[in-house]
Formats: sequence, C-alpha cells, structure tokens
Amino acid sequence: MILNSTQLAMLKVSSLQSLYMVSVSSLLTSLFGIPLGIMVVITRNGHILENKFLYRVLGFIINATRSIPFPIFIVFVIPLTRLVVGTAIGPTAVIVPLTLAAIVFMARLTETSLLEVPSGIIEAAQSIGASRWQIVWHVLLPEARPGLIMSVTITVITLISYSAMAGAVGGGGLGDLAIRYGYQRYQTDIMWVTVILLLLLVQGIQILGDRLVKKYSRR
Amino acid sequence: MALIEVKGLAKVFQVDGQMVEALAGIDLAIEEGEIFGVIGLSGAGKSTFIRCLNRLETPSSGTVLVGGRDLSTLAREELRGFRRNMGMIFQSFNLLSSRTVAGNVAFSLEVAGKGRAAAKARVAELLEMVGLSDKAGAYPAQLSGGQKQRVGIARALALSPKILLCDEATSSLDPQTTSSILALIGDLKSRLGLTVVLITHEMKVITEICDRVAVLESGRLVETGRVIDVFSSPGHPTSKKFVESVHPSFDQLLRGSFRPKGRLVRIFYVGETVTEPLVYTLVKRFDVEPNILQAHLDVISNQTSGTLLIDLAGQSGAIDAALGFIRTSNVSFEVLN
Ligand SMILES: Nc1ncnc2c1ncn2[C@@H]1O[C@H](COP(=O)(O)OP(=O)(O)OP(=O)(O)O)[C@@H](O)[C@H]1O
Ligand SMILES: [Mg+2]
Repeated sequence: MILNSTQLAMLKVSSLQSLYMVSVSSLLTSLFGIPLGIMVVITRNGHILENKFLYRVLGFIINATRSIPFPIFIVFVIPLTRLVVGTAIGPTAVIVPLTLAAIVFMARLTETSLLEVPSGIIEAAQSIGASRWQIVWHVLLPEARPGLIMSVTITVITLISYSAMAGAVGGGGLGDLAIRYGYQRYQTDIMWVTVILLLLLVQGIQILGDRLVKKYSRR
Repeated sequence: MALIEVKGLAKVFQVDGQMVEALAGIDLAIEEGEIFGVIGLSGAGKSTFIRCLNRLETPSSGTVLVGGRDLSTLAREELRGFRRNMGMIFQSFNLLSSRTVAGNVAFSLEVAGKGRAAAKARVAELLEMVGLSDKAGAYPAQLSGGQKQRVGIARALALSPKILLCDEATSSLDPQTTSSILALIGDLKSRLGLTVVLITHEMKVITEICDRVAVLESGRLVETGRVIDVFSSPGHPTSKKFVESVHPSFDQLLRGSFRPKGRLVRIFYVGETVTEPLVYTLVKRFDVEPNILQAHLDVISNQTSGTLLIDLAGQSGAIDAALGFIRTSNVSFEVLN
C-alpha cells in the first residue's frame, strides 16, 4: 500500500465530510429548488398561475445568484452562513453556500424539464376539472419525472465539484485534502486517491441517475 | 331552450401588439341530444370556439350559456365542477404518458375525489365501453392513434358528462380509424344521451355523424343548418367548397376534355325519393337522352341521399319539358350551364 495509516485516516475523515456535505445539500437543494422551478413555470404567461410580477422577481433572483462565481459566492454569503450555522468554517458551514447556489441551478433545470410537458396535457386535465394543485402534482411532476431525475443527477454531480471547491476555502472534505496535501505538500499519491474517489462517486451517481431515467421513461 | 347558447361570442388575441380576431360575433344554439358540427379551414377559429364552450379560453365579449348558466358568472371552483359536465377530446389525444390506460381514465375520477374501489370498477366499465379492456395496463406510447383516442373518450366520459366536445378528434387518424371512432361517438351519444359538439376541417366527418353543421370562416359563421340541407344546396362559397371536397365538383370535371351535349343537371335526392327511377321516367316520357356523368349514394345524418349529375341532351322543347317534370318531383336540382 502506498498510503500510510495517518493518510488513510485522513482520507476516511475527508470522504465522510464530503459525503455529508453533498448529501445534506443535495437533499435541501431538491427540497427548495424543485418547488422554485415549479413556481417559475406556473407563473409564466398563459400558465396555470400566471403572475408577471412574481415570474420576473423569481427570474431575477435566479439569474443574479447564478451570475456570481461560486468561490466569490461563498465569501459573499458568509454573514448569512454565520447567522444560520454560527460559524463560516467547516463542512456544515459550507452547506449554506452550496445549497443556495445549487437551488437556483436546480430551479432552472426543473423549469426546462417542466416546460417540456405539452400544454395540451395540461388543458386535458383542466377540461376534467383538475385544480392547479392537482395539475402540478398529478400532471406536471409525473410527466416530467425522467427530466427531473436527470436534473437532480446533474445537480448532485455539480454539488460534488462545488463541495471540492468549497473545501479549498476551509470547508474540509476531499477537495480540501487534495489541495492541502496533494498540492501544497507534494503528496501526489493522496491527490491521486482523492481524484479517483471523486471520479467513482460521480460515475456512480451518473449511472444511478441514468438507470432511474430509463425506468421512468414512457414516451 | 337550447342546451348550449352562444350569443355574440368574440375573441381577440394580442400577439406582439397585433390584434388577431379569432372569433367575430358568433350566435349559435345547440340543442340537447344533437351532434353539432363546426367546420372550417385551418385558422378559422374552430379551436378557439370550442374552447370557449368549457372556458379553457375566456371570450373577449359575448356570452356562453350552458344549460341556462352563464359561464362568465362562475367562480374558479364552480367552473371546475361545471367542467365535469363537459368531456373533451383532442386531436393530439393529450394522454398522460406516465400513466397506463387505466391510470389515465382513473385520473378523471381521482380529480373528482372518487374513492379508489369505486374508481376501479368504473374504469373497467369505461374501458369495456370503448373496447379497450385488454389494454388496461398498457402505456399510451404502446397504443395506436385510434386506441389512444378511445382512452381519451373513456377519460372524457368518466364523470358521466352530458356534453362531449371534440376538437378535431379524428384529424390525425386514417380514414378507417376515423370511421370507427366516429361510429363509437355516435353509439355512445345514443346510449348515454350525450350532446356532441364536434369541430373538424373534413366534410366527410360532418356527413358521417352530424345532425347540424355550422360553417366557420375567419371567425364568422357563414352558414348554419341541417347537414343534409347544407350538403344538398350549400348557401355560401366556402360551404360549397367543403361539399365539393367529398365529391369532385362539376367545374373540376369540366376542366377535363369533357364537353356537355345538352344541359348539365345536378339532382339531389333524399330519403324515399332515392328509390324513384327518375332517369328511367325521363327517358320514357320525354324525348331526351340523359347521360349519367356522376352518381353517388351517401348516408348523411343517418338518411340515405343521392347525387346525380346528368347531361340532358335533346330538342330544347323536350329538355324544358323534362326539367319541368324534375321540378315537380320530390328532389332538389340545379342546372349548371
Ligand atoms: N393563444 C393564442 N394566441 C394568439 N393567437 C391565437 C391563439 N390561439 C389562436 N390564435 C389565433 O386565432 C386564430 C384562430 O385559431 P384557432 O386555433 O381557433 O383556429 P382553428 O380553426 O382551430 O385552426 P386549426 O384547424 O389549424 O386548428 C388563428 O389566427 C390563430 O393564430
Ligand atoms: Mg384547431
């Protein structure tokens, strides 16, 4: 084995930190990002909850957030992070900027998926007297399911890479490890192992996502 | 009172600051139990019209009364309940791709808050009714167009509505499947006592099942009447074009090398008169030579009717006498030259 026991222990801690950051932020992102995407779609012109004002406001917030590069965004939201978590350093603190940035990303992907649902299907639901809530829950979401699964997959993978970036500014996790030991202390073997671990993680999630998409595709 | 009354219905769309007048003052009454057809070319405003009937579209002005209720007075919740009295089927079927056939039909019942057990029995009954019991577990992507429309019909009728709205329901189907779907609609109409409003751009659909027809052109009704009347003597150039789409027009025939020897007479028979040997009588009683150029038998609104085009040759006196005889018999006719 090329790694000694201290290195292994560090790898283990860092991996768990990465998993923790990615899984919690993925969960929170889906929880808020998908509803935000739904709101953007249904407040559109001619949609079931048409509302020009809300549509513009949401669109502006999403675009503004997405236009800030992630490392700058982390610093930018530090006051909020301190308020929510109590500190701006460590894996838990990193979850705040990670989630906020990913929510708007997820919202845009959700929007794209939902817009692919043909308007005729929504009209058919209206013609049998479905309510707006029923249309969202029984028509938009199930019809867009494959696209939504793909969106979640892409978001989780993005979160993995963002979390590695966040590591570099004191968040911990595999990214942090790779930079501190692999780059700054020339322990290239650690760098290699972290890269391989990240690669496996991304591949695994992509395969899982593809399987689920295939399972739910009915068109 | 008519089941559906439309008064001064108008709809203007704003597209990039441009006003598009889709409907320009439609007055119409649709009686309970009839199959009412609306025919028009693409862009005439047919879809806009039928969507105003269940308020998928909000009219710019005018009123729509259904069973005496003015739809514009209904609040959102009331409108949802009201729509359950009116089923609708579509050209593109609009089925939920994520649900099975049974799931699509059950959707109507779920929306109305029916319990699962009751819904299950009703779905089976509906699928039986449209002849799709064996496809209950299939997904829409696995069905043919005709089968998809049958699912659409089952879904539309799940809540036992009184009215069925059909927006070009057969326009994406081949002629045979079209006939089978129309036959199903006609059959369900009599069995369930439905009133059907059907829009189409095909005259054949109108003649196959409609009782009355309205011809729509650029948002205006140019003719309304019993199908058989409009078919036998269309009162507007557009109506005439539609009638001619079923049988080639005489103008079209004359474009060939054919030149008539005498007077071209088009005779239209309905019902009983179909069985009268008119041409035989002409030959026997008058000194004329009727040459049959074209003959059709059609079934329009369940009545047999015939169209006959003859070239009536002979002395002018004999021809006049023959025309006089045709005038006194029980057919409508037209001299084309
Ligand atoms: N939502 C809309 N926004 C803007 N214009 C519209 C809208 N819906 C219809 N129109 C316009 O109104 C007119 C009538 O359209 P409509 O869809 O009712 O025609 P149609 O007779 O159903 O045609 P088709 O046979 O092609 O379906 C057209 O000029 C169309 O462009
Ligand atoms: Mg149309």
